[in-house]
Parts: sequence; structure tokens; C-alpha cells
Amino acid sequence: MKVLVPVKRVIDYNVKVRVKADRTGVDLANVKMSMNPFDEIAVEEAVRMKEAGAADEAVAVSLGPQQSQETLRTALAMGADRAIHVVHDGELEPLAVAKMLAGVVGEEAPDLVILGKQAIDDDANQTGQMLSGLLGWSQGTFVSKVDASDGAVRVVREVDGGLETVALRMPAVLTVDLRLNEPRYASLPNIMKARKKEIARKTPADLGVDTTPRLNTLRVEEPPKRQGGLKVGSVAELVDKLHNDAGVI
Amino acid sequence: MTVLEDLMERCAGALAAAEGLHDAARRGVRGMVAGPGGGVEAGLVDRHQHAAHGLAWMATCLEGLRQMLRWARALDGAGRLGEVERLTAQIAFGEYLAQFAGGVAMSQAEIVRPHDLGVSDGDLHRFWTPDVAVLTKASGDGPRRRLAEILAAGWRDSGFGEDGLAGDLAMVRDQFRRYAGEKVRPFAHRWHLDDDLIPLELLRELAGLGVFGLSVPEEHGGLGMSKVAMCVVTEELSRGYIGVGSLGTRTEIAAELIINGGTGEQKERWLPGIVSGEIIPTAVFTEPGTGSDLGSLQTRAVRDGGVYRVTGNKTWITHAARADVMTLLARTDPDEKGYRGLSMFLAEKPRGDDADPFPAEGMSGGEIEVLGYRGMKEYEIAFDGFEVEARNLLGGEEGKGFKQLMATFESARVQTGARAVGVAQAALELGLAYATERRQFGRAIAGFPRVANKIAWMAVETMIARQLCWFAAREKDAGRRCDLEAGMAKLLGARVAWSNADNALQIHGGNGYAQEYEISRILCDARILSIFEGAAEIQAQVIARRLLSDAN
Repeated sequence: MKVLVPVKRVIDYNVKVRVKADRTGVDLANVKMSMNPFDEIAVEEAVRMKEAGAADEAVAVSLGPQQSQETLRTALAMGADRAIHVVHDGELEPLAVAKMLAGVVGEEAPDLVILGKQAIDDDANQTGQMLSGLLGWSQGTFVSKVDASDGAVRVVREVDGGLETVALRMPAVLTVDLRLNEPRYASLPNIMKARKKEIARKTPADLGVDTTPRLNTLRVEEPPKRQGGLKVGSVAELVDKLHNDAGVI
Repeated sequence: MTVLEDLMERCAGALAAAEGLHDAARRGVRGMVAGPGGGVEAGLVDRHQHAAHGLAWMATCLEGLRQMLRWARALDGAGRLGEVERLTAQIAFGEYLAQFAGGVAMSQAEIVRPHDLGVSDGDLHRFWTPDVAVLTKASGDGPRRRLAEILAAGWRDSGFGEDGLAGDLAMVRDQFRRYAGEKVRPFAHRWHLDDDLIPLELLRELAGLGVFGLSVPEEHGGLGMSKVAMCVVTEELSRGYIGVGSLGTRTEIAAELIINGGTGEQKERWLPGIVSGEIIPTAVFTEPGTGSDLGSLQTRAVRDGGVYRVTGNKTWITHAARADVMTLLARTDPDEKGYRGLSMFLAEKPRGDDADPFPAEGMSGGEIEVLGYRGMKEYEIAFDGFEVEARNLLGGEEGKGFKQLMATFESARVQTGARAVGVAQAALELGLAYATERRQFGRAIAGFPRVANKIAWMAVETMIARQLCWFAAREKDAGRRCDLEAGMAKLLGARVAWSNADNALQIHGGNGYAQEYEISRILCDARILSIFEGAAEIQAQVIARRLLSDAN
């Protein structure tokens, strides 16, 4: 079985995001970038499937600028066998990403595509579902447990009411949630090995995809600053404030 | 204007001026220590230690600036020289240049002045170029407050500026930063307070991550990575806990001893286990009466058929109880009183525990309770006829021990420099975190200039120490002699760690003095760095001797 793992390069989760002064977007100058944490979980799962003998090959793919290679190197150091880099500068919307991934799927013919449920930069939560739609494949979203064998995969999904177990026919697209696993630390030997692994380069044109954004971003703003609270002296005063100032009772 | 427009040119110009001043100082000190024949006399170096060591300190700070300029230029070339990095370089230059003119602090109690180094008024005048004057004025309160303001806003990664790493090394840093942040730091304070050994489980994890074979060549089962990589890993682990960052030190010393001095059989026998972390080594050199003057060791090893019998006392042995093998330095030739009579052994011992630390025939000892640097524990050991198999004499030859050990000093000091940078960074982060959370007089204390200036200088000097350390490591990687650079990295790193710990604790106020707060531990941990692996005074002496002899 072959697993394809799309990974995205995003602002590191520790970084406090700042909006550019001209409000056209987020300031990325000199900002630390890392692999989308949900994608790390996807890589981990694919590598575990390999280690358990359920998968033969894990291929990482990333769409983005030159530096996305660093993200792919991290995936390789975690245990992916090889990588594909679709080089693209500038904005990419989920539909364009899904179309390009569908193109890569056409070339690679994986049995499973495992990716993060969403990226922590735009929080779109669309790519996996769109990819599944474009391919006409089964989809398991918000997955917190995977059990794949013999042409079928059972997944446990995190839904509002609790946990839902679904059986999917393969090939399938899985979008993974936080509790699926705890990604490993890339060891020094594996970082060294990753140096020698192949990263194939492609362009959106190779995949025949028009990446022109369909949305026009008017303005990006920071959330309003939280107002300071105040202490009240008595329950009566609290009720008065809630009624007259806050207007909630 | 907070950041100078022509910063790079100013720094380059000022560096040249500082090099001129350093040359004048070197001539001046040489005049004090040269004998009638013109050669450097050891006795005169001792008599003029204040000047000689002052020269060493000045050269160390100067090398720090040289590396800061190299770092800034590389970032500039990559389009990554942002405001934080510019301010860092600017303040580093301005502060150290001012110290060159006014006095360099070797310790809080000893400041070496230019005239102590035989520098004339004319030399000082020539040093004070427009570049030096501009940078010195541009490193004061304003730029420091601005730097602290950006750091306190904390909007970037860990917010201390680009370190300049890329590719594999950046990945190594990120992975070990995450590891130390999740698996080390949250537990370190508890280990310290309980005076616990670092759990074996953690050692196994580190072995799995490849830490113990990092710089061991591939033909010996290691990874053959660079000393720079070793510094990066060591810094990140030490940032979590100095004890964890130090686990690699004994491995580094033992592995280098065996690689450089061991026989083929010894390499095969010991290196795989050391690399895999199954064999825990410890270094057994120091004695109650012998610290820095290692050549005068008393412990005897007497050949008796197929074994050596070791008798004598050793002290300050880190991780001794749990270790499986001791790199043991002892005297095999009693007629040779100096270092030529010393031999190195790879002495096997059974692993002990708290109840029975040394379950071996002819070996006893106990724990030395210490302020900080816990996690492996310190011991004193008495040997009384302790047996070491003759085949465990390193290299199979007597009398080589001191030279074999000397060959490891460069790596060990570079690694200790990296430990210091990790501790310095940990202190800085704790100080900054507290300063942004603690509110007094209606605002976060980070906004008060006296707090902000501390934070800024901590951040600046940590970066200087880091770049100096990586420079020494690169020299080692290039196969060049680097005892001078390694000594500088260790000397400066240790002072910065202590200075940061002290300042970060001051920011904590009374809370910092409570054992409950991590900074109280960092203060204790930082203090050892100027003492072990070559005390600051010995380090300065070694650097000074090199500087003065090179002037021939």
C-alpha cells in the first residue's frame, strides 16, 4: 500500500501572528515557519503504517515556495521515503491545492491520501474534502484512529456528539485530527538519512492547474484588543452591571 | 534614529580600530612578560596575570565582535537582517567598544583598564575613530529599550533574532528545541529540587535520537556530524536542563580519548556501546589536592601481572555511581613527577545506585552535595587496590595520558561553551517571561528601562557567546588547531550565563530567591560554568599564553 501525505509550510504555531501595517495580509518577514502541526500528525501516521507493515511507501508532497523544501526535509527526516515539491510562489486557495494534489494522485496512484484536517494559518478545512470530491474517492475526516488493511480502512472520527466509526473503501482521503497520534522527534540519524532522499520538483503547469485565486482579500485585521475587567463589591452591584451595562440580563 | 543606516560599514570600521588597540595591548603586555632574551617567561606571565588575562579577555570580546559582524553580514546577504538583528549587532559593538576604551570586566571584582595593558594615550586616541564614537553612542538606553520592546512583544518564534542556521542544522535545532521544551524543561526543576538522577528512560531517548554518537565518525558507529551540530544539540538540551545538556560531555571526552588514543581493539570494544548509550562513561581526573594543576596528580596505578592496581583519591567525579566505565588518569611512573608519568585507563566498574554507589572491590566513595548542576550528582572516590585490566590502558602505552587528555580539550571546551549558551538562553527567557507578566505601578515591569536594558543586554550577549561558540566549532570541523577559540568560547559563554542568571533573578525580585521559581536553579546551574572544564582564570591564562607567544 502506498500513502501520499500532503504537507503545508505555515507560520510556526509559537509565533504571535501580526497583521501587516497596510492590512493586506499577515507579516511573514523574518517569521519562523514550520510544518502545519496537523500535517505532522499525518506524516507520523503514514510512517507508523509503514513501520507496522501496513504500508510500503510514504510519499510527502508540498505546494509552495522554494522554502517548502525545508518542510519536506522534515517529513523525510520523520520517515517519509521521498518527496514531491510543486514549486509555486504566492497565494494558493484550497481548490487549486486540491486540483494539484489530484494531479499528483493521478501520477502516483496512492491507496491513501492522509493530510491534516486543516492548516493553522487559514483554518480553511477544505482541501481534503475537495480532493476527495475531485477524485470521487471515499473520505474520512477529523480522524482520531485509523485501521487500514486489505482494501478497506476503518476510521474513528471526532464529531460533535462523540466518536463515530466509519468503514471506507480504498482508495480514500483521510483528514486527521489532533488526537490521532503524537508526532515523533526526527532523530539525528534520520535527519542525516533525509539528506540523501529524493525531492522531485514540479510546477503547477506540469499538473495543468490554473492557480489564480478566486477570492479577493479586501482587508485583514487583528481581533479587537480585550478590554480590562473590573471587580464588583457585591452581588447587587454585579446584577446591576449585568443588567444596565452589559445588558445581558 | 534607533538603528544606524550605515551599521555594517560602521561595524567594519570599528572592528579595524579595535584590532589596532588590541595589537597595542599585546605589544604592551609582551613588554611586561618578555625576559632578557625576548622570549615570554612563565614567571613573568604569572606576575603580570592581571594584564595578561586582561589581554585574553579583550581578545575574547574582540573575537566575539568579529563573529557578530560575520553573522550580520551573512544574514544581510540572505535578506534576513531584520531590526532585532541590527539592534543586536549595534549594541554588541557599542558596548564592547566602550569597554575596550574604559575597561573590560574579567569578573565583577576585576576590571582591566587600557593602561593596565600598556596602552598609551596615543593608542587610545587612535582607537577612538568616528566609527567607534558613533557606535558607542548608538548602543545606549534608546536602542536597548527598543530591542527589549520587540522582544517583550514576542511576536516572532522565540523572538531573539535569527541565529543564522539553515538546512539540516536548523532542523536539528528545531527538533531538539521541541524535545527539550516538552521532555526536559517541564521536569528539570523537580529533578533539581529532589536532587534526583536524570531518569534512565531519558538517556535511552537521547540515545535513540542519536545524541551520544553525534560527532563520532561513521566508521566507529557514530553519525560523523559536525561540532557545530554538537553545539546546537548541546545548547538546546542545556536550555532545557544543564544536566541533560551535559550528558554528552562525558561521552564526548570518552569517545575522543578512544578515537584519538585507543588501539583498534579498544575502539571496537568501547565505541559501539558509548554511541548507543548502553555504556555510560565518566571522567576521573581531579583529586582533592589537584585541580587546575593536573600534571601533579598523585593517584597511582601499579602494574601487577595482567592488571593495574589503582590507589588514591579522586573528587568531583560527575555521574560516577551510574557510570559503567571511567576514563581514569593515574600515575604509572612515580619517578616522573610531572605529566609525563601519567597514563589513561578505560576502567570498567559495575553500575551503582544511591544505596550502594560503588559496588566494586577496592573502590568506595560518596556524594558531594552541591548548589546546582545536579541530575548526575558529584562524587568523591577512594581507590584502594582497585583493579583495572592491563588491556584497558588507553593506547596500550604508559605515560601518554596527559597528552591523550589534552587532545580532547578543544572539543570539551567548545561543548561547554554551548552548554553555557543554553543556560544563558534559558535565563534570558525566564527573565523576559517574568518581566512581561509581572505588573507593578500599573504596568508590566518589562516597560521600565532598568528592566528593559537588562533584557536587551542579556539577549545581545547571548548571541555574541553563541556566535563565538559556533566559530570555535567550525574551526574544529575544519581541522584547524582551535584551543584559543575554544577557550574563548568557554570563557565568554560562562560569564554570560552567570551574568544572565544573575540579571534574570534580579528581574524576578524576591520571587527569584524562592526555590520554587526556576530561575533560582538556573542561578546555581550557571555558577559552575566558570569553574569546571578549566576555571575562568586558567582559561584566560591559556588564551594569554597563546596570544603572547604568537606575537613572536
